[in-house]
Amino acid sequence: MISWLRHQKHALTAALNRLRAHPVSTLLTALAMGVAISLPGGLYLGLANLSQVAGDLPAHPEVSLFLDNRIPDAQQQAIAARLKKPDIAEAHFVPRDQALAALSASQGLTDIAAGLTQNPLPDAWVVRPHDTSREALARVADELGKLPGVAETHLDSLWADRLQAALAIGRAGVWLLAGLFAIALVAISGNAIRAQVLARRDEILVSRLIGATDRYIRRPFLYLGALQGLLGGLAAIGVLAIAGGILRAPVERLATLYGSTYHLVPPTAIEIAAVLAFTAALGWFGAWLSVTRALHQVEATR
Amino acid sequence: MISFSQVTKRYPGGHEALSGATFSIEQGELVFLTGHSGAGKSTLLKLIAAIERPTSGVVSVSGQNIGRLSRLAVPYLRRNIGLVFQDHKLLFDRSVIDNVVLPLDIAGIDRRDSLKRARAVIDKVGLLSREKANPVSLSGGEQQRVCIARALVSRPALLLADEPTGNLDAGYAADIMAMFRDFHQVGTTLVIATHDERAISALGGRTLHLDHGRIEGAAA
Repeated sequence: MISWLRHQKHALTAALNRLRAHPVSTLLTALAMGVAISLPGGLYLGLANLSQVAGDLPAHPEVSLFLDNRIPDAQQQAIAARLKKPDIAEAHFVPRDQALAALSASQGLTDIAAGLTQNPLPDAWVVRPHDTSREALARVADELGKLPGVAETHLDSLWADRLQAALAIGRAGVWLLAGLFAIALVAISGNAIRAQVLARRDEILVSRLIGATDRYIRRPFLYLGALQGLLGGLAAIGVLAIAGGILRAPVERLATLYGSTYHLVPPTAIEIAAVLAFTAALGWFGAWLSVTRALHQVEATR
Repeated sequence: MISFSQVTKRYPGGHEALSGATFSIEQGELVFLTGHSGAGKSTLLKLIAAIERPTSGVVSVSGQNIGRLSRLAVPYLRRNIGLVFQDHKLLFDRSVIDNVVLPLDIAGIDRRDSLKRARAVIDKVGLLSREKANPVSLSGGEQQRVCIARALVSRPALLLADEPTGNLDAGYAADIMAMFRDFHQVGTTLVIATHDERAISALGGRTLHLDHGRIEGAAA
């Protein structure tokens, strides 16, 4: 156990020394990795920000029923009776006078409401069904729309649903992109480590002759790969921080124009840690592939 | 400690470096391998260290059958064998002491202890004043002594030397052979491949003569 720890420490020191011995290539490799990872990372952050905007929208999808003007009481009662059925969680009636009063009260619309000579608004029901899945909502809206006296139904959540659907595609895209760039990262790391292995051919051969196990030989390269990946992750976070810095002012100006105090949401500490762990693991894996292959080659050409 | 039984080594391409070699070496023995270049001396040493595997026959070292040794077991066999190479095989990216300490690092020995041991063995080969130097700045004889120090630092029971004095002038060669005699006297088993007739007569010990891969006068 102690000797195992000693080996780990030895390998880590060796890896750090090797990184320091080639600062330029270390930096270039880290940059290549950083740029590769910043693409899915940036998309992820962009989507997180959009989700934040979408999250402010009403959580409970509602169906609005707009009624024809002056429908007979019988129709009124039929509609009210239908809305008491168990598939409806909640329904409340908004008389046209109340709707106009609410319109007058809402900011910016007072002038418009005061300028009206008569009330153009219909009576309405706001209905919340039990089942809020998209299909169920559409079915309920469709059914209610066919009742006599109903002029129009409106699914309030429709555009929010569409946004959510678009975001879901975006999220799938993030994972797709992350997968592709993960492969790229493994390749970058593997290539960098391969060069290191070849540069250390003599050391590997001599170490083998004096009793080094493959694991002993492989270990510093694995640390090297993991460290290189970690640096790549840090570079990616650096790239994103710079991009965030550049975007912050324009985004806030746009938000102000919409009367919002929206700010860009930075990644959380957990997300940053996850990116670093992910890139380190990929760097390690690339190194493992590369060094295992190279060790077999070194053996073959002994 | 070492026994060869009808050992043949044929390299890819058909060259037969060793043919039907049978002999054994006891613990604590000092054995010289002689013969012209290409007679199979290096091949014989490589078979003992499991650097090569026999084509046929049985090579046994410390009771282990080299031909059947698993890849994973080879490093542990080599840790008990000190290897001295004609071309030294030193690493020029590190100091003398870092070269010598390498086998102990590989064995996972505490760094402070291993540096102490490395320093002791460097002192024994007379290079303590050069421990921080890069081996590239040393003479051929000094490099060979670093190589010997590295072979001995893990106190192996068996030392294999391939032409240890091949590139050295007579004075250095005598120094190094004297060193080998000291190790022999403390009980290390030594197998030395050499052309150096003077060394053989000075140190005594058994001689195995190889001629075109065959052992001659193997009477022990």
